[in-house]
This record gives sequence, structure tokens and C-alpha cells, in this order.
Amino acid sequence: MARTSTTFDAFNAIAEPKRRALIEAMVGKELTVNQTVEIMGWKQPMVSKHLSVLKQVGIVSERKEGRYRVYRVNAARLKPVQEWAAQFEQYWSNSLDCLEEYLKEIQSNGTNDG
Amino acid sequence: MGKDSEIKVEPTIFIREFNASRQLVFEAWTQPEHLKNWQFPFKGFKCEYHSVDIRPGGISLHKMTAPNGFEMWLLTKYEEVIPPECLIFRQYPSNESGDILTNPQMPGWPKEMRTTIKLEEADGKTRLQLIWQPINPTREEADVFEASRSEHDKGWGGGLDQLVAYLEAL
Repeated sequence: MARTSTTFDAFNAIAEPKRRALIEAMVGKELTVNQTVEIMGWKQPMVSKHLSVLKQVGIVSERKEGRYRVYRVNAARLKPVQEWAAQFEQYWSNSLDCLEEYLKEIQSNGTNDG
Repeated sequence: MGKDSEIKVEPTIFIREFNASRQLVFEAWTQPEHLKNWQFPFKGFKCEYHSVDIRPGGISLHKMTAPNGFEMWLLTKYEEVIPPECLIFRQYPSNESGDILTNPQMPGWPKEMRTTIKLEEADGKTRLQLIWQPINPTREEADVFEASRSEHDKGWGGGLDQLVAYLEAL
């Protein structure tokens, strides 16, 4: 369901697949709106709309260069998202490591467990 | 609401092979005497089961204690327990009374996740699949789950490598 809130944070900013595609395309580059339009093959208003949301949460920052504004990804703002997901994935993956080690341990102890 | 009820999300799947019989691996997942010895993310953690009822419809409550004393309670609701091949449960962060906590820092994260453990035995080894999937997610929850996935490349394409490298270096 659409949320009534108009404020964004890094999490809902990247919940939209188009914005993820945009971030990926922009990583490591500095692009004007026109260059972004060309790379993405989207219409200019759509590029501007998504850029504006990403700017609002600081994932994209803007700089003036002569007559143009150039945009770049501020990846540090995405770190909380990565950390959140990594917590869970690491929890399972590390727990399975512990299980493996435990199974080794009790089997090498023969049958004297418990 | 009807349109949102059929949203499909690719699960995140972990696969491991253990040098142990399927029976033993299943017991390691379903007996607290075993669980308390491994069910934590790092060595040095402690795991204590406060209530245990591992059967379909049953609920368990356990506590993980980090070496620095930080405590985390987890409530597990079991959906299927089929020895020695399958275990399905939902796990929630909770308090010590077993009240489920929500996570306000992460708007849009799926409210409920289902974990399925499937065990297959071959040549004395056991292959484990851990399948992790949001339950009846809204569109937003499904997208957030996809977006935050690093195990698969469904959410983020190859362009993410550079970004990940950068994040690692922070």
C-alpha cells in the first residue's frame, strides 16, 4: 500500500527498482541530467524525479560546473542499508559455520556427548 | 488489498554440506541440548533456551548473549517439523516475555520472514538448504528485501561490485 508519508530515507529511496538501476549506472561517475537521460534511456522528467528523491536523502549529491549541474552517488549513505541486510545474512551464514564446527566436535568426541 | 496478496519474492538460499548424518543434523536443529551449543553467529556467544516447544504450532523462546553482555531474545514459531528432513519456522526479535518487537529503524523491511530448512543425505553427508523468504510481503517490503540482498544478484546488478568495494573500505 502506498504510504501517506512524503519523507524518504535511504531505505525507501532504494525500494524503487528504477532508483536502484539509476544508482548502479551512476556509481563512480559524475553525470549531468542529459547524460543520465542518455545512459538510462528514460525521459528527462523521470530521471529528474528519481534524482530528486535520491538527492533528498543524500544518496546523490549535486555540484555546479559552469552552466551545468553534475550529479554523483554518495555511497556512504547506502551503508546503513547494506549493514542491515548483512546482519541477517551473516547471522545465518555464521550460525551455519558454528553448526558445522559443533557437528565436527561432537562426532570427534565419539558418543560421549551429554 | 487483493492485488498485493500475490507478490512473489525470490528467496535467499544458503546451501551447506555437513559431514554428519541427516538424523544428527536434524537433531541439532530441534533439540535444545544441541541448539544451545551452536545457534549464535560467533564463538563466544551464549545461547539459552527459556521455553521449548518444537512441533507444528509450537513456540520457543531463546536468548543470545554476546561476549560483551548484550542480550538478544528470539521467538520462534514452528510451522512444520518433519524428522529428519524438513523444518519450517518464523523467527522474530522479541523481549524476555516473548513479545515480538518491530524494527522501526528499517521502514519497509518485511514484517515476517519464513525460514525453511531442508536436509538431504548422500554418502553419509548431509546437504542443508536454508531458504529465507518474506511472508505475504507488500510491494514495498518485497522491493526492500530485493534491494538489500547481497547474496544473489537479482536486486543489484554487476554494477554493484564497485560500490561494495567502496563500502568495505569505509
